[in-house]
Parts: sequence; C-alpha cells; structure tokens
Amino acid sequence: MGCSSSVPDRSAGRLGGVNPDNGGANDPKNLRVKLVLLGDSGVGKSCIVLRFVRGQFDPTSKVTIGASFLSQTIALQDSTTVKFEIWDTAGQERYAALAPLYYRGAAVAIIAYDITSPESFHKAQYWVKELQKHGSPDIVMALVGNKADLNEQREVQTQDGIDYAEKNGMFFIETSAKTADNINQLFEEIAKRLPRPTPPS
Amino acid sequence: MGGGIRILVKDSYGFTVRPQHVHRYREYSSIYKEEEGERLEKWKEFLVQQEECARASHSKEEHTEPVVSEVTEQSGDPGQSTSEERDDSAEQCAAVSEVTAVEKVSGEEENPSEVTEQSSEKRDDSAEQCAAVSEVTAIENVCGGEENSSKKRSEGGLPSREAPSSQHGKRREVKTWADISPSLNCIDHMMSVRIKKTGNMKSRNIRCESNDLPSIDETRPSDGGSDDDNERSDTANAQTSSDKLPPETSFSWKEELASLVRGGVPKDLRGEVWQAFVGVRTRRVEKYYQDLLAVECDATDGKEHDKSASEGKKGDLPEKLKKQIEKDLPRTFPGHPALNETGRNSLRRVLSAYAIHNPSVGYCQAMNFFAGLLLLMMPEENAFWTLVGIIDEYFEGYFSQEMTESQVDQLVFEDLMRERFPKLVNHLDYLGVEVAWISGPWFLSIFVNTLPWESVLRVWDVILFEGNRVMLFRTALALMDLYGPALVTTKDAGDVITLLQTLTGSTFDSSQLVLTACMGFLNITEDRLQELRQKHRPSIVSTFEERSKGGKSFKDPKGLATKLYSFKHDHGSIVKENQTEAGLDDNIDLGEIPNLDSHSASLDEFLKGMSIDSEADSLPDLQEQVVWLKVELCRLLEEKRSEALKSEELEAAFMEMVQEDNRMELAAKVEKLEKEVAELRQLLADKKEGENAMLQVLLKVEQEQRETDQARRFAEQEAATHKQALHALQEKYDKAMADMEKRVVMAESMLEATLQYETGQSKASSSPKSGRPELQDNPSKKAGILSFGLGWRDRSKASNDDTGNVPDETDDQQE
Ligand SMILES: Nc1nc2c(ncn2[C@@H]2O[C@H](COP(=O)(O)OP(=O)(O)O)[C@@H](O)[C@H]2O)c(=O)[nH]1
Ligand SMILES: [Mg+2]
Repeated sequence: MGCSSSVPDRSAGRLGGVNPDNGGANDPKNLRVKLVLLGDSGVGKSCIVLRFVRGQFDPTSKVTIGASFLSQTIALQDSTTVKFEIWDTAGQERYAALAPLYYRGAAVAIIAYDITSPESFHKAQYWVKELQKHGSPDIVMALVGNKADLNEQREVQTQDGIDYAEKNGMFFIETSAKTADNINQLFEEIAKRLPRPTPPS
Repeated sequence: MGGGIRILVKDSYGFTVRPQHVHRYREYSSIYKEEEGERLEKWKEFLVQQEECARASHSKEEHTEPVVSEVTEQSGDPGQSTSEERDDSAEQCAAVSEVTAVEKVSGEEENPSEVTEQSSEKRDDSAEQCAAVSEVTAIENVCGGEENSSKKRSEGGLPSREAPSSQHGKRREVKTWADISPSLNCIDHMMSVRIKKTGNMKSRNIRCESNDLPSIDETRPSDGGSDDDNERSDTANAQTSSDKLPPETSFSWKEELASLVRGGVPKDLRGEVWQAFVGVRTRRVEKYYQDLLAVECDATDGKEHDKSASEGKKGDLPEKLKKQIEKDLPRTFPGHPALNETGRNSLRRVLSAYAIHNPSVGYCQAMNFFAGLLLLMMPEENAFWTLVGIIDEYFEGYFSQEMTESQVDQLVFEDLMRERFPKLVNHLDYLGVEVAWISGPWFLSIFVNTLPWESVLRVWDVILFEGNRVMLFRTALALMDLYGPALVTTKDAGDVITLLQTLTGSTFDSSQLVLTACMGFLNITEDRLQELRQKHRPSIVSTFEERSKGGKSFKDPKGLATKLYSFKHDHGSIVKENQTEAGLDDNIDLGEIPNLDSHSASLDEFLKGMSIDSEADSLPDLQEQVVWLKVELCRLLEEKRSEALKSEELEAAFMEMVQEDNRMELAAKVEKLEKEVAELRQLLADKKEGENAMLQVLLKVEQEQRETDQARRFAEQEAATHKQALHALQEKYDKAMADMEKRVVMAESMLEATLQYETGQSKASSSPKSGRPELQDNPSKKAGILSFGLGWRDRSKASNDDTGNVPDETDDQQE
C-alpha cells in the first residue's frame, strides 16, 4: 500500500543525495501529496476540485467516469509549497470496486457529502469505514459537507457532521463549490495537517 | 484563468472545443474535411460496386426481384433463405432498384431542403439535435440518390407496418424508429451474417423475457419479422456455417470494408452504418422498446395499483437507478445543443428502457455518454437497439453490478503494456504510477471525453465493426506508443498523468491514431485477449466474492426472513405449522433458492395455495377460533424466528455449495496462482537485481562525484597557495619597486648635485671649452638613465610620475 508511494520518494531522496543543490522531491519545503476524493455521486466532488484548481464553477459538470486527475500547488504562510495530486473518483456504487486503485497510497482523503442529502451522508460514513479498514494507516481524512449554499434545503445538520468527524479523528468543514465558500480553506487546512517529512541530514 | 470572455468553438459534431485546443482543432479541421471527401468517394464506390455486383449476377430483365434475391444470396444463404426476411428486405430493396439512379448525385438545388426535411421528419424530435449535422444532404444523396432518399421515407418506412398508423397519432409518445437506408442494405446484410449468430440468441433471450410482458406476445402474430425468429435462427446457423463456403467473395468485401472502416465512416452515414454493424435490424423486436417504456410509465404512474401485472419482474426500474439516471442527464454532454429538454427526455427513455431490458446491468455511469452519442446520430429506438448490442454483447460484463470484465481487462492491458513497453512501465513503476489509473477511465468511457471527438468516432467505427474490444486495447497501446517517449521524461506521478491527459486530449490526428492502433498491434487479437482474460478473471472474481461475502452472509438472511414474514402477514392466513415446515423442507432443495430469493411472488403463490388448504380445515366456533388464532399467532412468531434461522442455515448451506463448486476451480486457481507467484518472484528478483544494479550505479556515480569533489577541493587549495605565493611575490616586487624608486630619486638628486657642482666648476674653470664635450655628453647620458628608469617605473606602476622629467626638460631648455 504505502510502498507504492514511498518507492519514488525513497529513490528521489537518493537522487537528491547525489545532487545536493537540486532540491529533491522529499524537500520539506515543497511537499507533494496524493489526495483522493470519495463520496456519493452528485455531491459535488468534481465541482470542488474544479473550483480549487481552476477557480471556476460549472453548474453543468460532466459525469466522472472511472476517475479523473488534476493537480494544484498552493503556498503556505511559512513559505512551504504543497502540490496536491488529486484523484476525483466516480460516485456510483458499483464503481466502488475500482476505488481502492485510487485511494491506495493516498496521503489525504476528502470524503464529501451533500448537506441536502442524508443518503449521501450515510455514504460518506461508508467511505470513512472503508478507508479506516483499507486506506493508508496515517491517512489524513477530511469530512466535507458540500452545497452549503443550499442552506434552506439542508437535511444534514452541521453538528452531525462535526460529531461524526470528531469521533473519527477527521477534519470537518462545510463548503460550497458554487460560491467558493471554504474551498481554499479546506485545502489549506489539509496542508497544515500533513505530517512533515524530517529533512534528510 | 477564471472568467473573461470565452468564445465557444464547436466542432462539427456540435461539441465545444476546449479553449486550449481551438488552435489545433482549426488546424485539423481542414484535414478532416479533406479526409472526409476522400472517404466519401471510396464509400460511394464501394456501395455502388456492391450494388452492381448484386445486380450483375442476375438477369437484368427486372430490377426489383433480382436485387432482392441477390441481397439474400449475398448474406451467404444457400437458396433457402427465410421467405419472411426476403419479403422484409424486398420492399426496401425494391426502392433501391426502382430508383437505380444511385450514382447521380449532388448539385441539385432542391435537394438540400428536401433531404433535410426528410431527415428531420425521420428523426422527429431528435432531428433538432442533429442541427450540427446539417451537411447530411450531400452524403444522403451520394449514397441513396436524390430520388431514392425521398422514396426511402415512404418505402423504407413501410416495412414496419405499424409505423404509418402510429406515425401521426402515437408518434409523440412512442418514439421514432427508422430503417437503415436501402443503399446501406448491402452492408447491413453482410454484417448480419455475423450478428445473426449471436443476434438470434439475443432475440431468443428477448423472447423468453418477453414472456414476462404479455403485450409483446400479443404483437407477435401481427409482426412477421419476429415470428420467424426460430426459423431465422436456424437458417442463421446454417448461414454461418455455409458462410465459409464461398470464401473469395465474402472475404474480399469484408477485407475491403474493413479497410474502409479503418479509414473512417463518412460522417453522415455513420449513424446508419453503425446500426448495420451492430445488427440493429436483426436484433430488433417490434414494439419491445415501446413496451419497456410503457412498463416504466406504469411503474411511475400507478405503483400500487398495477402490482400484480408488472411488479417484481423486469418492469421495476429500481428507484436507485432512476435517481442516478436523473442526476446524470444534465451531466451528459452539457452544453450540447442536442441535449436540450427533448434530447434529455429521449436520453432518459433510452437509459430507462435499457435498465429494464437488462437488469443485470441496469444503469451504469458511462452509458449515459454512449446513449447520448448514439442519439446524436440516430432516432431513439435505433439508439436503444444499438446500445443493447454494445452493452449486452460487445461489453458484456463490463458495466454490470460487479464490473468484472472491466477489471479483468485492466489486468490484461497491464500485461500487454509490460510486454510491449517495458521501459515505459518501468518508469511508471518507478514513479509509483499504476497503468490502470490511466487506462481504466479510457476503457470505461470507450475514449469518450478523453480523445478529441473525431478520434473517438474513428475508434468507435472500428470497435462497432469488429464487434469486440480488440480496438480498445489497440488504441490504448497506440496512445502509449505515441506518447510513451514523452512520458519517460517526467519526474513525478502527477506529471505523468497530467502530461498524458493533455496529450491524449489533443490527439487530433485521428488517422494516425487509428492506423497506429490497427497496424501496429496486429498481434493483439481477440483470441489472445480471451486467453489473458481467462488467466486474470479468477483473481477478480475471488476478490469480488470476498467483498460481497462480508455483506451478503450478513444481510441476505434477514432479507429472506422479512420477505417470508411479510407475505404471510399480508395474507393474514392461518398456516398449519407442519405444512409450513414441509414447505420449507422442500425449499431446502437448493434449486429452489434463487427462485425463493428473487421471485417472492411465486413463493407467494405457493403459500397462498397452502393457506387455502389449511383454511379448509379451519374451525367453527368464533371463541375457539380466537383462542386458536392467538396460539397460532404465537406459533407464527416463533416460526418466523425459526425461519429466519433456517434461512440463515440455508444461506450457509448455499454458500458451502458454492464453495464446493468453487473448489475445483480453486484447485486450478491455486495452481495458476502458484505459477503466478513463481513468476512474480522471478520478476521481483529480476527487479531487485535491476534495482541493485541501479543502486550500484548510483553509488558509483556518487563515489565518482565525491572523488571529483575532492579533486576539485585539492585544486582549489593549490590555487589558493598559488595565489598566496603570487601575492607575496607581488608584495616583494612592489617593495623592490619602491626601493628602486627611492634609489632612482637618490641617484637623480645626486646627479643634479653633481651637475650643479660641475656647472659651478665649469664656470669657475678657466678653460670652459675643454669641459664642453663632456658636458654635452653627460646630459644625454643622464637623460638616458632617467628615461629608462622612469619608463620602467611607469610600466610597472602605471602611474605617471613626471617629477623626473622636469629637471630633464628644464635642463634641455636650459640648454
Ligand atoms: N448548489 C450547489 N450545487 C452544487 C455544488 N457543487 C456541485 N453542485 C452541483 O451538483 C451537481 C453534481 O456535481 P458534481 O461535481 O458533478 O458531482 P460529483 O458526482 O460528486 O462529481 C452539479 O450539477 C453541480 O451543479 C455546490 O456547492 N452548490
Ligand atoms: Mg464527478
């Protein structure tokens, strides 16, 4: 599991040793993390990614088939940069069989639900359990209640999200891909919670 | 990037071109146009040739008959063609031969409007979708002939007898169907030879299934086509075997057609040619589609009322799927002009009908794109049958609940990648990239949304023609072939994926892609793939079983128990314990279990019968009855519990049976796995070796680096000492210079003093003349010494000190 991601890191580190003034990939100032988005179909996973990466909201996004990939780099205040390699997965239940392919070796998982759909909240819990069972042991998980702009149609209370996240040691936030509310915060918070590699001596 | 003015450029299929591709698209659109022209010529030639060939082999006396019988003969029929089919196609072909002005084409002014009208009529609502395909005219003409295509409307529409009557009245709700244009009949018939083999199985299937739908049975008598299904399938078998008899002819046109397909199907024939490839005409069962839709409507309209008629069987479109379809409608080709309200309604119907038609697949994301694509090219019912062919057959097991085959194909593809592109795969391994991350979405979407549209359609041309997934593999390999060299330069996993996405997304050279795929990977054949699939399937199946076991053994007994409970409850009947027990004991017979599980209705019937029996024994006195009922109730509750337990046992027994069944398979599996393990070990060893070698090399490089570093440091030190030495020298030299200067000055002053003294002496002397020559000599000597000294000093110090000159000059002036 973890090995697939640690292989390149190890070798990259080795290369870094060869050429010390060419900042290696394991550079604690320039992190690279694999992130996977999971959650029921239609909760807005693709929209969250597109908002974060392209700064756009397309109300008519395409159905995700299999999975799709995007990456984005952010700079933190302590002048470290974090490059997110984001795997956005397909939501329909039967595609769950393919999910391990994408969450294997992921350092971060965003598990999203739609605050207007209790069903999607249940689905989120299913994913949390699945990751606790089969994900990387030190995976950073974020529970995200999306479509916060539809507050008047809310059917999942914020407190329920908070409680569930707390119980499972997750970070919780409500977002709206439509209004961009909390989207950047989501990723910044995740970045802050990442375990930093100790600089190789 | 956000906002700004974006000019949307649409490609010739009505899809928006991504802004970053606009330039390249424009570049290629002229090439596309050129290619389209060429292929149009070729196809036209081919079709005419087929037509002529058909005609030539018969006397020319009468057009109508000969063509028909020719066509049937062409499909390899040794004379005993089914008369029905003959009749069927007779009418279509009559149209062709009557109007034999096939060659006459283009130019005419009335044509465009006429044909557009025709096509819009034919396609009804979906015609609006095809606004993008407004160039229909030219090709329809080429292939059908001007008159022909107008005739086609009336004649071609006729064979499906119901059409005219339903055309105006029913048309609105029952969506359109259109026969393939007669000019393409030859292809249709050629291909149907192949399709019939599997196609007739299909129609038998449908037949069986249609027993659930009484309405279809009713249509049977009136429907000549489907009534002879059995006959047809018999002859089809005969045909397929006899197909091998006249190989030269069938082989040559097939080859020719294959090469035409590789060159691309002309845009405006595509919809119909695809239908011919998939064998839509053969697959179609009259009214089947409409009945599926009716069932679907019933289910939504009066869910509770109609339960007895349509419930429990294929009629039910599960709520879950329905919701999913609904969610996905607006997310299917968003922004495409064709997928407006009407377009989406068509899409909904096709997807729902399919889901009811094949419950083992139901609806799977990706099918929305396929159905959407088909709807852009053909009428609704045609799209439905094409989708049926693709999903039921070409992609069987791909989109089903378990998605087994799609996972198997991923493993197969990885094998092929390792075999063909070991270096690239090594690189991917090194970066931690799994091949399936990339190929998974490609295969599942059949390249829709990953390649530019022209390329997608060209790939689909071949897939639908070949009727299997070989082209899927070949295309994926071709992409790796094209872009592998670029991928090898990447430095992290993210870059690989991003780069490849970008590159595939701009694969506008569709001809290069298709040719690379078809010609570069000839050794990827269906047989080969089947072999590899066989190898990988067990592992996928077993993981799936493991996955589902956890849930199943836990959930299902409960479900069974509730079912058992609820129908008893419904009847409120009094069932004698021993009878129930007997019934259940009977049911322990494993053959009954699936039945019991899936068709609770039939069990329902069964128990109903029992309860009636028991009621016959029931009692007279009311009071007594109440007491008895109470007791019975308790017993029932008890029973319920025991049944739950029993069903659990049943489940366990069932599982054991399954396992036993699997045991043999397992033995084989174990063997295979062992072999695989050995292979893997070998691989691992090899890899380790490779890694070690790599490490060694790296260490060596590092060592060398260190050595050079040291050498450099030495050199630097040496340089430093040299510098110091140089510095010291400089200092010494400077000192020496200063000394020298002092001496020079001293010498000068001494000279001057001497001079003065001399002049004093000469003035004082009595014979000044005698001193003159000496005197004249001296200054020049002095000047020589001075200038030499000064020049030397100047050269070394580069600073001009003219103090030494002044006396010289004054001396001269004095002279
Ligand atoms: N109101 C609202 N709608 C959203 C939001 N995010 C996504 N959507 C809508 O939800 C639908 C599904 O989004 P998508 O990202 O495709 O869902 P996914 O299946 O989880 O990837 C889209 O049609 C969006 O218009 C949001 O934050 N607010
Ligand atoms: Mg999505």
